[in-house]
Amino acid sequence: MTRRLPILLVLAAIGLVLVPDALLAQNQNLGAQRLGRAYLHVFASYAIGWALIFGWVVYIARRLRAVERKLDRE
Amino acid sequence: MNARTGWFGIGMALAGVLVSAYTLWMVFFWVPTEVSMGIVQRIFYIHVPSAWVAFLAFGIVAVSSAVYLWLGDERADIAALSAAEGGIIFTTIVLITGPLWGKIAWNAYWTGEPRLTLTLVLGFIYVGYLMVRNATDTPERGKRFAAVVGIVGALFIPLIHMSVYWFRGLHPDPVILNPEGPTADPEIQTTLYVGLLGFTLLFLGLMALRYSVERAHRTLELREAA
Repeated sequence: MTRRLPILLVLAAIGLVLVPDALLAQNQNLGAQRLGRAYLHVFASYAIGWALIFGWVVYIARRLRAVERKLDRE
Repeated sequence: MNARTGWFGIGMALAGVLVSAYTLWMVFFWVPTEVSMGIVQRIFYIHVPSAWVAFLAFGIVAVSSAVYLWLGDERADIAALSAAEGGIIFTTIVLITGPLWGKIAWNAYWTGEPRLTLTLVLGFIYVGYLMVRNATDTPERGKRFAAVVGIVGALFIPLIHMSVYWFRGLHPDPVILNPEGPTADPEIQTTLYVGLLGFTLLFLGLMALRYSVERAHRTLELREAA
């Protein structure tokens, strides 16, 4: 047991050094995933927002066209 | 007068589009990424201006509705209708961009948070405002009922603004309109102000355009009825 102690201490030291690195790498991966999803949500927000405003413009244009058609008939 | 309002609306809406395009450049190329929330915080620059414009629109609906009930002026009803349509559009933007932000920040699209729930109720009230116009025997009656709904709905605006202080939910406190003054970084504030200007011009321009179209439509209807 005493002969194995230095080996165990070395393994524990390696573990202490490597485990935080491994956790950090995992976190970086998760961070990268979140970043990708966050970008998607940002672009979706702006795209949907502008699409809705454009929809209102189209609605107004159609109402205007209907008024113009009525005027043409008169 | 009507054509002048239309051209004024087109000019203002175009100015709004230009300022909003500049805001987009600021959002994606100029403003630094916020430290605590990261990239998703950029939704702020469409979410907050949309909320501001929605509140402005429903404020206009309330004032115009009160004028309509008081004086019976058809122009006030047309202004209220035009503002309500815009208000619903911008409230929908708030209700879509908020959950997209919340999914990243809170890991949930929706919570029963007071500010979110009250904003949803506000949106429903103004959808009801449009529905009640056509749900009565006579158009005049519908307009009067809608005017009452328009005024009652606006009472939610201060409630929504104060809900983050009164109920202490997940929604962040205001970073500009808070009692201690603006707390956001100067670049974030500048981008937000430009965004607010762009959406305000765009909304007022489109509202003026919608007003002139609706007024022309009603004038034609009156002429046909005569």
